[in-house]
Amino acid sequence: MNLIAISINHRTASVDLREAVHLKEDEIRPFINLAKENQIKEGLILSTCNRTEIFGIPNNNEASHENFQNLLLNFKAAQNISEHNFQKFISRDAIRHLFSVATGIDSLLIGDNQVFKQVKDSFQVAEEANFTGYIMHRIFDAAIRTGKRAISETAISEGAVTISYAAVQLTEKIFSNLSKKSALVIGTGETGEIAAKHLSEKGIGSLAVTNRTQEKAEKLAEKLNAKVIPFDDFKESIYKFDIIISATAAPDILVRKDDVKTALKKRSNNPMILMDIAVPRDIDPATKEIDYVFYHDLDSLNIIVDQNLAKRKSEIPKVEKIIEEEIDNFWEWYNSLQAAPAIKDLRDFFEDIRNEEVEKNKNKFSSEDQEKLDIVTKRIINKILHHPTIELRKADENSNSVDSSTKIGIIRDLFGINSRKKSEKE
Amino acid sequence: MISSIHTINILLPIFYFATLVVYFYDFLKGEVKLVNVKRVFLFITLFLHLVYIVMRTIAFDHPPITNVFEIFTILAITISFSYFLVELVSDIRGTGPFIIILPLIFQLISSLFIQDLTEVKEVLRSNLLGIHVISALLGYSGFTISAVYGFLYLTLYKDIKLNKFGLIFNRLPNLEVLERLSLYSAVIGFVALTIAIIIGVIWLPVAFPKFSYLDPKLVGSTMVWLLYAAGITSKIMGKWRGKKLVILSISGFIVAIISTILSNFLAQSFHSFY
Repeated sequence: MNLIAISINHRTASVDLREAVHLKEDEIRPFINLAKENQIKEGLILSTCNRTEIFGIPNNNEASHENFQNLLLNFKAAQNISEHNFQKFISRDAIRHLFSVATGIDSLLIGDNQVFKQVKDSFQVAEEANFTGYIMHRIFDAAIRTGKRAISETAISEGAVTISYAAVQLTEKIFSNLSKKSALVIGTGETGEIAAKHLSEKGIGSLAVTNRTQEKAEKLAEKLNAKVIPFDDFKESIYKFDIIISATAAPDILVRKDDVKTALKKRSNNPMILMDIAVPRDIDPATKEIDYVFYHDLDSLNIIVDQNLAKRKSEIPKVEKIIEEEIDNFWEWYNSLQAAPAIKDLRDFFEDIRNEEVEKNKNKFSSEDQEKLDIVTKRIINKILHHPTIELRKADENSNSVDSSTKIGIIRDLFGINSRKKSEKE
Repeated sequence: MISSIHTINILLPIFYFATLVVYFYDFLKGEVKLVNVKRVFLFITLFLHLVYIVMRTIAFDHPPITNVFEIFTILAITISFSYFLVELVSDIRGTGPFIIILPLIFQLISSLFIQDLTEVKEVLRSNLLGIHVISALLGYSGFTISAVYGFLYLTLYKDIKLNKFGLIFNRLPNLEVLERLSLYSAVIGFVALTIAIIIGVIWLPVAFPKFSYLDPKLVGSTMVWLLYAAGITSKIMGKWRGKKLVILSISGFIVAIISTILSNFLAQSFHSFY
């Protein structure tokens, strides 16, 4: 199989190099067109912040990894990128690599299921751009099935592996229903924004944000349908919130132990969660001594993240087993696309039907006619199959195996020869 | 029939033990596949236990409520049955092993010491007494389960505060749920105990000439009842919550245990029949 793949990713290149070849959404279609012009008939382009990957089945056997690389480097006019920044795969290895990416075991953040969605999206783009043929389609299906199996059959995507998710996970161990809780995010920098988004995605009942620069808070609040609280007097209203996440760049402590004590009294000891994900810290760590206050900082959240990452790592062998199973399945199907066995299966299929009907009906004929019946029906079948057989042999001799495989695949699908053989096996 | 009763009597602790092992294994591994397996184990054990109690009642012509070892086997089945319901209704995993260990202990003690009593005092065959005892036992099962959930609440509370994110953190449901489970079981226990006390106070003086309001079991139960009444009222009024409430539930349970032990083994009382 001449599936070729190149990959530039977090293992092979630094951020700036990865950024230099990153294909933005609006660049992917023009790039696919360029690939088509350059004899790549079908394929897949995947480009995220951690990786850019090109999978393709070239029209002729001369195309190589270098062609793929040059295509990308010329398109992006990228410099300083050399041969060793690319991983290269061919055939079965290329499929294994795609499955590894789809299942998240090749990701920087192991088991990251963001990448599974990205793989699916890039399949869709390829499909819409008419970049997918018969074989590639089958590879897509197998990759998606592998990804889904990895998620459902293993714990590869379980547990929070980022600080802000760990904060949410911890919250869910204290409160049962976030939709009845209110949260305040102090500081709307990148970290604060991500935390606010996670809370909003998890269906927090009411969300408020506060920031030293009021406009920034307002902007985020608009996005997430949250309230804005003026930064100068947010301390007076902390008693209204069940969850407080702080992520400012302030050099000093913003929320003191006494502030929390007062707030807790006002809310008659209703538990409060304080997540301090700022460096240096915003909330006085001594607040953790107060009953009904759950104070956590980066150190404690990191414990959760590390534990979950270790757990995910230990799931990799299980995922690899699933990948091998799916590759085997795919390969079995792919091998059935060879001309000789396909012709034999097709002929056997027709012969079986003929034989069955003759056996069923031959008693309606006299004994001399029975022999004639056999000869005539055989002749009919031979005539029907004559042209398809010649076409299949011709396609096989032709150097372009994608066309031949496609033809064979369609014939097998049309007559249900694969499924028939499988059910016989079972 | 008697020989089957003896066989099941030996089998029951073994079944409870097997169920506990499955629950504990599931707690350690957290595999999805085991969810149904463990329920099947618990269900079979419960069914066997029910058969056992029905057979005893028929064979010895009285419900097994006439002495402490008969009562223990009833306590074992009411606790595990209540837990079975909690698990089915709430779909909460991970608390099973902490509960199942109790019926195992009760059944083990019962199996070791229970006797084939056919001669019981006439007064113990009364229907009202049956309701009195069964509601009292349901009450105590409720308090037991409430105390276990209270204990789990405190453990998880401490673990979260001290940044210990181990098995307890990963497997137990969240604090609010544990608090709620503890409260609900306490309320059910409280209602059942109230019924037991009402029946007792109205009917017992008539049935027992030796009846006294200073009977240790009666005094003990009233103390337990008052404790839970105070806790539940303060929760409803929104004064107490979380840690305070579960500590109250655990204290109530300890008082209940102590009062049972004292009145059953030490004090002379009309409540003792053996």
